Amino acid sequence: MISGELKEKLLKEILEAETPNEKAVDVMYELQKVYGWITDEAMSEASELLGMTLTELDELATFYNFLFREPVGKYVIHVCDSVVCWMNGYEVLLDHLKGRLGIGIGETTSDGLFTLLPVCCIGYCDRAPAMLINRRVHGNLTPEKIDTIIDQIRAKEQES
Amino acid sequence: MPKLIIDDRIIEVVPGVKVIDAAEQLGIMIPRFCYHKALGSVGACRMCGVKFVDGPVMGIHMSCMVDAQDGMVVSTTDPEAVEFRKYVIEWLMLNHPHDCPVCDEGGHCLLQDTTVSGGHGIRRYPGQKRTYRDQYLGHLVAHEMNRCIHCYRCVRYYQEFSGYSDLGAFQIASRVYFGRFADGPLESPFAGNLIDICPTGVFTDLTTRYRVRRWDMERGDSVCIHCSLGCDTIAGARYREVLRQEARFSEHVNGWFICDRGRFGYQYESHENRPRAARICGSETEMDKTIDQASQKIDEIIKVWGPEAVACLGSSRSSLETQAMLAEFCQMKNIPGPVYFLDKSIANKVKSAVSRLDMQLALSMREIEDVDFILALGVDAINEAPMLALAMRQAVRNGALAVVADPRPVSLPFEFEHFALLPENLKDFLFALIKSAVNIEDIKPESNARGFAGALPEDYPGDQEMMDRIKLLAEKLRQSRKTAFICGTQGVTETLPDAVADAAQLFSHTKEKSGLFYVFPAANSFGAALWDNSDKRCFEDILDGIEQEKIKALIVVESNPVFHYPDRNRLEAVIKKLELFLVLDYLPSPTVTRAGMFIPSQTVFESGGSFINQEGRLQYAYPIHRGGIPNYQQSKGSHPERVYGLGIPGNDPKPSREILARIAGLIPNDATTRDSLEKFDYFGHPFFAWLNREEYPFDNIRIIPQKSQAEPYSASLNKDLMPMGNVIKLLLVDRTFGTEVLSAFSEPACKVESPPVVYMHPSDASQAEITEAEKICLTLPGGDLEVRLELKENMAEGIIVLPRHRQLFWQKCHSFDEWMAVYKTIKPSQS
Repeated sequence: MISGELKEKLLKEILEAETPNEKAVDVMYELQKVYGWITDEAMSEASELLGMTLTELDELATFYNFLFREPVGKYVIHVCDSVVCWMNGYEVLLDHLKGRLGIGIGETTSDGLFTLLPVCCIGYCDRAPAMLINRRVHGNLTPEKIDTIIDQIRAKEQES
Repeated sequence: MPKLIIDDRIIEVVPGVKVIDAAEQLGIMIPRFCYHKALGSVGACRMCGVKFVDGPVMGIHMSCMVDAQDGMVVSTTDPEAVEFRKYVIEWLMLNHPHDCPVCDEGGHCLLQDTTVSGGHGIRRYPGQKRTYRDQYLGHLVAHEMNRCIHCYRCVRYYQEFSGYSDLGAFQIASRVYFGRFADGPLESPFAGNLIDICPTGVFTDLTTRYRVRRWDMERGDSVCIHCSLGCDTIAGARYREVLRQEARFSEHVNGWFICDRGRFGYQYESHENRPRAARICGSETEMDKTIDQASQKIDEIIKVWGPEAVACLGSSRSSLETQAMLAEFCQMKNIPGPVYFLDKSIANKVKSAVSRLDMQLALSMREIEDVDFILALGVDAINEAPMLALAMRQAVRNGALAVVADPRPVSLPFEFEHFALLPENLKDFLFALIKSAVNIEDIKPESNARGFAGALPEDYPGDQEMMDRIKLLAEKLRQSRKTAFICGTQGVTETLPDAVADAAQLFSHTKEKSGLFYVFPAANSFGAALWDNSDKRCFEDILDGIEQEKIKALIVVESNPVFHYPDRNRLEAVIKKLELFLVLDYLPSPTVTRAGMFIPSQTVFESGGSFINQEGRLQYAYPIHRGGIPNYQQSKGSHPERVYGLGIPGNDPKPSREILARIAGLIPNDATTRDSLEKFDYFGHPFFAWLNREEYPFDNIRIIPQKSQAEPYSASLNKDLMPMGNVIKLLLVDRTFGTEVLSAFSEPACKVESPPVVYMHPSDASQAEITEAEKICLTLPGGDLEVRLELKENMAEGIIVLPRHRQLFWQKCHSFDEWMAVYKTIKPSQS
């Protein structure tokens, strides 16, 4: 259950909007921060806050790349599969990532660290191919660069 | 008017018509998936690509997205267009399973047809197909998402057209999923249309799954008789059993769709306990002998007690042919004319409504979609006439304002303004509204309209707040261009139908259209009103007559008074006093089981028949099959028994009109041809005098007069009276499922009905010191009735709304419409 404080904050935002519908994605995103992903419980809370049906909300939640309806790893990697990244060879990088992590698209590593997802254009075309890790952008990627990034994260995790 | 050339042929169309429809007018069916006339264009599936070879648009474009324009030259057969479509269908087929042999859609599948006609025969894609988990969507609709080609028709229909939001489009790109948030029954009472609208087999009929292919059926045009709207349908039968009732496009009545009561209510036809043999005192007898005996018995009673000692009860669900024959029967035997309504007050309301319908005022259901102001009085569309709610929704989607004044907790799939008023206040509301909206100077001086408008009461009695709301509405009514006045005939006062007709007429001079639309209690109430004799001897009089031993015989034709009459104990006592209780019907109804003499009749699917809907449209339902015990029932799913014999097993039932004609001696008992019946039709009534008898049967003809003979502006201006003191009204109402007599014997419809319930306003409940509960006890004149209570804020105060549920012994009310003292009436359940 979310805190009364957050609930009040969200309700206020919803009231300020012209229609509750326009706040749907924001509200679900806030709830995702609390739960780590959008659980069915979070869905019903969002539905209650917004006065929208579960179907209406789930139509949105399952559409957007940054809303997760399943548990995800600690680090969510979004690999851009849009035109410019494709021209710059994102497919090679994706294969590399899959091999390195031992997972396919939409899957999470068994240690719960990484989830691999596609994303459509993140506006980093000038530094293509690009990807996001927990919404932080990494551009001009090469297999070597990816290895470094992954190694750094793994090392950091082992320390803690 | 744009003129264009499609495949070397010239066509002129009205502006705004899409090229795909222009082609269809020429008989050229351009392949399509996402495009549907009811839903409009989205250009999503890319299947309807054609080549524009000359004119304002050039090259390959989607014909559903381009308006037909002058000078266009379009080719649907150009090699480039053909190749384009070939790739599209190949691409749409990538993930589609090759399960046509076990798919219920196979044989009438748009995807199948288009794949073949598109020239895609050999699969080139070697990859894995995308798969989904299917959902349980309730008892009516089956779900097979693997077959989906993502045309979005289902969601556009379900959400946009019909206004429900529990079916949605989830996920993204190639994983798009059409379903519910979680498994569960679809909430819309129009969900069955998904079966028709899905171009492939994602949504199919679960109720008769794996039972039949369309090409195996005996199919024919039929009319839905589960409410008074008369939606056009196609019924299909196989192996002596109707297995489908599907929507048939109707330009004037239902458009492309029907409701689930209509779609799944037909299985009374093949009910396991359907009485198929004649019976005397409970034991089966031969049909011909029973008819002879009935005839002799009636003659005997007439001889001893006089013709007055015989009474006939017809029904509003019978065809015109049957209704007319019953009247003819009475005339021949010189017995007082039949009654077709159990409630004289409803008979009066339907009759006054019928007398007011004419070509100027009457609206068709499709015309409602086009109005910009709807005033519905005493109508709960979704429960009484479901498709009306969809028509009203289309008007609201086009910007109309919908106002519903009704005591019930009305819930509709669109935004509307609800005035929860008692039946006795509906007329006050109507008069206050039209008085505020009408400008006396605008009214034609020639008629007595001015006098009527002038005499209308100024205010809504004793409620300033209400008057303020009414004034705001009046402004909207004044500004509206086309207005629909909708009026119910059940649970409203007797003077209301006339008053609503006058209101519609009053605005007919100042508006482009000011139309009138009634909702009647049953499919052929209109016809019943033409022959009904309640004025002289109503059903109540008949019961009195039997009790006083003046009436000795009661003949009931396709009516079920044991269910519909609100005092069952009295009725049962009365039945016992009769010398002859003769029942003709096709339902295993409680009336049939109590019949002293029973003769089985045919359903509309076997005998066919004409019906007049509530807007005065004469329609004909064709016979679909010959009847008999369904193979499936006889064989229990295995091979049918090898019994050799002439005729069809269980095929004794005859059309009611034939049985009546034989009893009356109009045709010899051994006559075998249907032709001998031809001269007994409904043309004896002056109402049909202008029709050419030779052209029988008539279908889709408005038979109301150009100008109504009834005196306009004669509605009573007096206030409908309400009893004083601490009393509460009991209102018996209909539900979408569970109260309508035919679908109450149809298994799928029974499966989806909600349990019996009674509704009250919270303030009435607190006054009676009860709370929402699984069971409360209503003390009715005929004894206690235990039922679940639901409290509803959005209903009128001072009323108990009780649906006439088939599982409930509500026939203890003793009156169709009653006021009773409140504290005596309701208490918490004892059990």
